[in-house]
Amino acid sequence: MSPVFPMLTVLTMFYYICLRRRARTATRGEMMNSHRTIESNSRTSPLNAEVVQYAKEVVDFSSHYGNENSMSYTMWNLAGVPNVFPSSGDFTQTAVFRTYGTWWDQCPSASLPFRRTPPNFQSQDYVELTFEQQVYPTAVHVLETYHPGAVIRILACSANPYSPNPPAEVRWEILWSERPTKVNASQARQFKPCIKQINFPTNLIRLEVNSSLLDYYTELDAVVLHGVKDKPVLSHKTSLIDMNDIEDDAYEEKDGCRMDSLNKKFSSAVLGEGPNNGYFDKLPYELIQLILNHLTLPDLCRLAQTCKLLSQHCCDPLQYIHLNLQPYWAKLDDTSLEFLQSRCTLVQWLNLSWTGNRGFISVAGFSRFLKVCGSELVRLELSCSHFLNETCLEVISEMCPNLQALNLSSCDKLPPQAFNHIAKLCSLKRLVLYRTKVEQTALLSILNFCSELQHLSLGSCVMIEDYDVIASMIGAKCKKLRTLDLWRCKNITENGIAELASGCPLLEELDLGWCPTLQSSTGCFTRLARQLPNLQKLFLTANRSVCDTDIDELACNCTRLQQLDILGTRMVSPASLRKLLESCKDLSLLDVSFCSQIDNRAVLELNASFPKVFIKKSFTQ
Amino acid sequence: MFSVLSYGRLVARAVLGGLSQTDPRAGGGGGGDYLLVTAGCGFGKDFRKGLLKKGACYGDDACFVARHRSADVLGVADGVGGWRDYGVDPSQFSGTLMRTCERLVKEGRFVPSNPIGILITSYCELLQNKVPLLGSSTACIVVLDRTSHRLHTANLGDSGFVVVRGGEVVHRSDEQQHYFNTPFQLSVAPPEAEGVVLSDSPDAADSTSFDVQLGDIILTELKKLKNSNYESIQQTARSIAEQAHELAYDPNYMSPFWQSGMNQRGAEPELQGAQSGERRQGCHSNCKRKQRFRRCRVTSLYLYF
Repeated sequence: MSPVFPMLTVLTMFYYICLRRRARTATRGEMMNSHRTIESNSRTSPLNAEVVQYAKEVVDFSSHYGNENSMSYTMWNLAGVPNVFPSSGDFTQTAVFRTYGTWWDQCPSASLPFRRTPPNFQSQDYVELTFEQQVYPTAVHVLETYHPGAVIRILACSANPYSPNPPAEVRWEILWSERPTKVNASQARQFKPCIKQINFPTNLIRLEVNSSLLDYYTELDAVVLHGVKDKPVLSHKTSLIDMNDIEDDAYEEKDGCRMDSLNKKFSSAVLGEGPNNGYFDKLPYELIQLILNHLTLPDLCRLAQTCKLLSQHCCDPLQYIHLNLQPYWAKLDDTSLEFLQSRCTLVQWLNLSWTGNRGFISVAGFSRFLKVCGSELVRLELSCSHFLNETCLEVISEMCPNLQALNLSSCDKLPPQAFNHIAKLCSLKRLVLYRTKVEQTALLSILNFCSELQHLSLGSCVMIEDYDVIASMIGAKCKKLRTLDLWRCKNITENGIAELASGCPLLEELDLGWCPTLQSSTGCFTRLARQLPNLQKLFLTANRSVCDTDIDELACNCTRLQQLDILGTRMVSPASLRKLLESCKDLSLLDVSFCSQIDNRAVLELNASFPKVFIKKSFTQ
Repeated sequence: MFSVLSYGRLVARAVLGGLSQTDPRAGGGGGGDYLLVTAGCGFGKDFRKGLLKKGACYGDDACFVARHRSADVLGVADGVGGWRDYGVDPSQFSGTLMRTCERLVKEGRFVPSNPIGILITSYCELLQNKVPLLGSSTACIVVLDRTSHRLHTANLGDSGFVVVRGGEVVHRSDEQQHYFNTPFQLSVAPPEAEGVVLSDSPDAADSTSFDVQLGDIILTELKKLKNSNYESIQQTARSIAEQAHELAYDPNYMSPFWQSGMNQRGAEPELQGAQSGERRQGCHSNCKRKQRFRRCRVTSLYLYF
């Protein structure tokens, strides 16, 4: 035997072992790195150069602080190059959402959360941006200039909003998602989360935010999308092994539908009245129902496929009294609604906010669903549901006679005539029309017929011509009103306030932020204070005429006050604020930003004496 | 009065610098889009020299220059100094007004033929600021529509503009005054002084539109100096115009801006070899650019007193 043979064997074995080890590490490495972009992909070939883009346009969003058609504190500032970054501070040229913290969950107009909301869905607001070119994203950077840390989810869409042909299939993929975490510094930062790789090019990015841990409004300046034109080489491998998919609750209802019909065929053919269900079926029916109450909707649908008994339980309409479909907005379509229809005959609370856009839900599909499910409906959330049109509102008014709460927040594409149908819902207690195009006649009609109204939001309703007339109608007809949102109601005067104050003595919450036509010298704020002793929340944001007299009147008369915003007035002194804080023991939020007499030292002194109060003082650097 | 000649030289330099720096993109396509070449100079009341800066404030006064696809816009605002007696900084209002106009133009939120619209929108935006602004100012906005070769102007108050063509004044804005030394003005007053403080609506601005030709000089100025040496200022304008025309057509003129650019390149020794070829090319291309400009240049300067 020549000495070559053993050497060859050894070499082959050595080579084989090395290959195996490399293969093993590669697989393990990829499993570990599923949450991170693969390093090797960044070594793109020269032909596949990275494209860096700022947002071209903001196409949709759920709320913002600024006025419609303005460029101050509005979402449109998120497009284009940054205006302010890296400066920190409260600047007009940034994008700001309407709310922050938990203040809006603690005021009288807060609505109860839906049961069965999955714990990993915490998004409160969103904004959708388009970019010029479609790329395979490698990074998404968010330039935050004030109180960062609100972004909790980034998604990419496969549809190109600029292509003339409607897309065959629209898919949303989560690039990054995390629970809300507290960011300690309030300075500007460039937020660079590690995003997942996807296998389609995109130029439509969606950011979802949760501001509940923030001390003040977050402000965003720009969004940068890094990507490559051609599909990166290793992308197909990473998309196979992805930890996100396993834990993801963005469930595919379509699968459930097909599985269910298959299951039905099986159960009738194979599963008879088997003796071996264990002791489980000895439990009372109601107890099993109670156990199933704790499952999220996708789990409930999956459980229905396991056996006949559980299928019976899971399809019981009693499980669907509260139906929250907002967490599943990315996948919910007509087929899903049809699938759920048979189980939803007793539904009382239905949340379809954010759903149905880009052709996912049709008017016909929605109407069909409501015809089956509308009779017991008491609460209907349709915030940012842009598929709605006049027919849908007509269907709602016909099919939901018991409706008490209707939320059409930010449905800015609804034509004005659609709102006429709301007047038919005479049991309405809560109506949210924030940022809609409702017109004066329709609103007057609603106020005339819906005398049970307790909560009304008319924030940023720009098509109303004369708010004094509206206020006078409210004062005359809505005697049970408890909360009223007139944020940015441009022309309400002391006459309207007088009618409100005398007509609605039960008012606990009044938002008059950015109403420039109210002048303290007319005595309107004094009147408010004297005639509304139950006030818990009063926003007089950016009313430059609020003065010490008004604060004194509030201190004397509105001792239940919890939240007060007097941003931007020059005429309130620290002394009157001290009186207010002494008198209103429940006061927890006091916003004195840009009040020239209240400097940082005064805030510190007040805080020292009243440590439970959150005194907010924003600044522009 | 300060030395008009030395001042003129300073401005002349700035003007010429502007010419060679400007983007040649618009120069192509013969007789196409017009271009506004600008220079600004100002003196605050304390007579410190101010050099050209965009959106700059000189004393209580402010200005801006902004470019957009469809138009070039410039504006001036004369802050009313009387606010100082009440503890309000007069430059805050005029400065914010001009910066807001600049932002509006850059974002394209305006119609070139409607400069009053810019004033109205800008004034409304001012009121959207969380910071409580106080003060007042006049305003003058000049919009050059690149494609239609028309100049659209809006003037509120006693600032204004003059168009000089071939050494002659062809257009001049009218003053708007309520009474002596009280021009029309945009203002935001404290609530207790509402009705007492003069506050004109932006709608009250005078608006004009007219054609402009190549080589026109537009002077935007903050106060008409009727009693002072307006004649000598007109002479200065004329001599600046002549000097500007002469030097622009001179292919061998090395403008101060181009010179400083050369020095910077020279500072990198390792690239010297490659640079010399470039430098020659640079010289050549600069001249080419200037020649292209000949066909489409409207010069404007604004002087402050």
